[in-house]
Amino acid sequence: MKFFSLIPVIVIGGLLLWAGQDFPKWGDVESPASKSPVSSHFIANTGVDTEVPNMVTAVLADYRGFDTMFETVVVFIAGMAVIAILRGSSVGRPRRKDHEVEAEPDLIVTNTVRLIVPVLQIFAFYVLAHGHVSPGGGFQGGVVMGASFILIALSWDLEKAMSRFPIERCLFVAAMGIVLYGGIGLLSMMLGGEFLDYAELDKILPVSREMARYHAMLGVEIGVGFTVASIMFVLYANLASEGRLKQGL
Amino acid sequence: MENAIAWIFIFPLFGSVFVALSRYVNIKLAYPISVLSMAGAFWAGVETLRQAMASPNHEISYLLGGWTLDLFPRGVGIEFRADLLASLIVLIVLGVGLIVTVYSKIHVEKETPNKEAIYYSLMLLQITGLAGICLTGDAFNLYVLIEVAALTGYGLIAIGSNRAAAATFNYLILGTIGASLYLLGVGYLYIKTGTLNMVGIQEVIEANGLTDSATMQVAFVLIGVGILIKMAFFPFHAWLPNAYCNAPTTTSCLLAPLVTKVMIYVMIRMVLTVFGVEFSFESTIWVSWMPWLVVIAIICAAFLALSQREIKRMLAYLIVAEVGYMVGGVWIYNYYGLIGSIFHIISDACMTLCLFLGTGIILHKCKTTHFDGIRGLFSKMPFTMIGFFVGGFSIIGLPPTCGFFSKWYLITGGMVSGHWEYLVVLMFSTMVMVILFFRLIERIHLAVDESGKNLGKGHGDLGLSREQTRFDEAPLIMLIPLLVAAATVIVIGIYNQEVVNQIETFLQAYDLPTGVEYE
Repeated sequence: MKFFSLIPVIVIGGLLLWAGQDFPKWGDVESPASKSPVSSHFIANTGVDTEVPNMVTAVLADYRGFDTMFETVVVFIAGMAVIAILRGSSVGRPRRKDHEVEAEPDLIVTNTVRLIVPVLQIFAFYVLAHGHVSPGGGFQGGVVMGASFILIALSWDLEKAMSRFPIERCLFVAAMGIVLYGGIGLLSMMLGGEFLDYAELDKILPVSREMARYHAMLGVEIGVGFTVASIMFVLYANLASEGRLKQGL
Repeated sequence: MENAIAWIFIFPLFGSVFVALSRYVNIKLAYPISVLSMAGAFWAGVETLRQAMASPNHEISYLLGGWTLDLFPRGVGIEFRADLLASLIVLIVLGVGLIVTVYSKIHVEKETPNKEAIYYSLMLLQITGLAGICLTGDAFNLYVLIEVAALTGYGLIAIGSNRAAAATFNYLILGTIGASLYLLGVGYLYIKTGTLNMVGIQEVIEANGLTDSATMQVAFVLIGVGILIKMAFFPFHAWLPNAYCNAPTTTSCLLAPLVTKVMIYVMIRMVLTVFGVEFSFESTIWVSWMPWLVVIAIICAAFLALSQREIKRMLAYLIVAEVGYMVGGVWIYNYYGLIGSIFHIISDACMTLCLFLGTGIILHKCKTTHFDGIRGLFSKMPFTMIGFFVGGFSIIGLPPTCGFFSKWYLITGGMVSGHWEYLVVLMFSTMVMVILFFRLIERIHLAVDESGKNLGKGHGDLGLSREQTRFDEAPLIMLIPLLVAAATVIVIGIYNQEVVNQIETFLQAYDLPTGVEYE
């Protein structure tokens, strides 16, 4: 069986290599991709259009903001699907013995985590808010924030982490993230532009059209951060405890 | 309404978030919010189709984020394009979504207790994803929306039972392979053309003569195979029957008519809009062997359907056969074949909806969908059975149902393009469908058992007690959606010329052979 599965691997691998012969040369200015107006527009005009120094953030949150909205929705769906499948599915089934660890939280580990977690959480806000200038943004900041709660759950137990971030509120926070993202899009549509046309927000913000885009991008990044952070924790809590939300790993 | 096309996804997107939040307030709100947001989306769909028909070049272009074409180059922002094809298919998606949402109440309460909020939320996001796939004009955005539709699909199927979760795992693996192949293909397209906008890619291909490029050829193969896996074309169909049979009833009612059909739409979109007719049909070798793969696919799927003893599983294999029809209609490379293919997407969505809604009611009333458990159903619930049979007749292709007319165009396409093998296999498959459905009709009306032995005592006697044949119709909230779906099948059949006119207007922009030599 292993031999047969090797055949498609070789065929597809060969196909991919064969396709490589035709790639544009490295840095070839004559290739259609280099002549395409899209990348050159991003490089030349990101600052003019949006006032954002970090081109990646501008492409992610503004030029292709609609993609990012649905990426956030994908994260939200992942959380809901895990809840849908796991919650209540293992009620009545005996818990596997090898998962049960009866141990006090370790002194060294908990004290280290005590030191790390505040720094981690402040860093998460920094990454989120500084995404306009440096690498970062809502996804990265959200992941760091979610990781801080997972760290608490790993070094103490799930109850302790859930007393800091109640799991019932997670889905609420995640939904709020989407409402914030979509709401900014909807608001800019109500103000007379297209959906997600942040520039229209200058009618209610005391700034120029370009700066309106700048500020709205921060808003949607915060929305993304909400969703990602809470869904990270939902995924961990449900997967680690088979949907029981007790004890966990 | 200026932004109708945006409301198509705003309604279900925000609806799903509010439904998810309804568990904090009152879980009873989940159903009304879902129905309202689907009704809103359906209205926006109708409005979009009306606008597309009224506009001079028969399409609406909507630049999300305000990156309009007069100020910025094409491809900087993400474009939503509703041409006649997209707005027809999106209307079908939203219509099916609305009907299934109304229908779902009893099933969802029974099959997924305490999870209604999450269930409806996933369902609305599924419809958002599918509607977005139809409308988007951006190859990467299409991938994101495919992911939205696929992930919600996994959740909606696995929420049912442990067996469903096992079936979902297969679906998950194959679906992810399909989506990854598609993404890889889009990556190759981007490296060659430098844009992700569908029309932009087509322009670059034409301007630079990229039809012979090896990278483009491989991109075409990767995207094509990825989509074929997603639409459950015959050798890749293994995930479909188990996933649809073990899923909760409402899930199969929603996914079966839509997911495979929307993927066929994506294939048509890729062939016509992204790669272009010349590239797809004349620069690749697909056109010479795809019709034969279709022949194999239809024959195998028809035999598999014939060997099933359970309605749901039989219907699942029927879908695989129908996918073969539509793929064949595209790849016989003919104007009429393509009309048939597009029309068949519409009619197949309606008739599959009929059949699955009917099966759901049978399951609700009889607790089984096995062939042995359906005797005497016609006297028990005549209206449900009429709705179910309308779907069945349309699958067979009896006039005046819409299945007849779409098959007519497919057959015409096969004839004028000289693909006789496709024609023969269509006829063969029609015969199989006749057997399938008349076998069911026999079971439902007559008192014969497996070996043909008569169970009743002569004429009109079903061999059942009075209790078992007493009039016991399905609840109205389930019956009305079924009858609406059945009426749609007949109405589309009667007004088929209106639909075909729109498809013809859309296809006029493409240079397709009609197969008829005018002197």
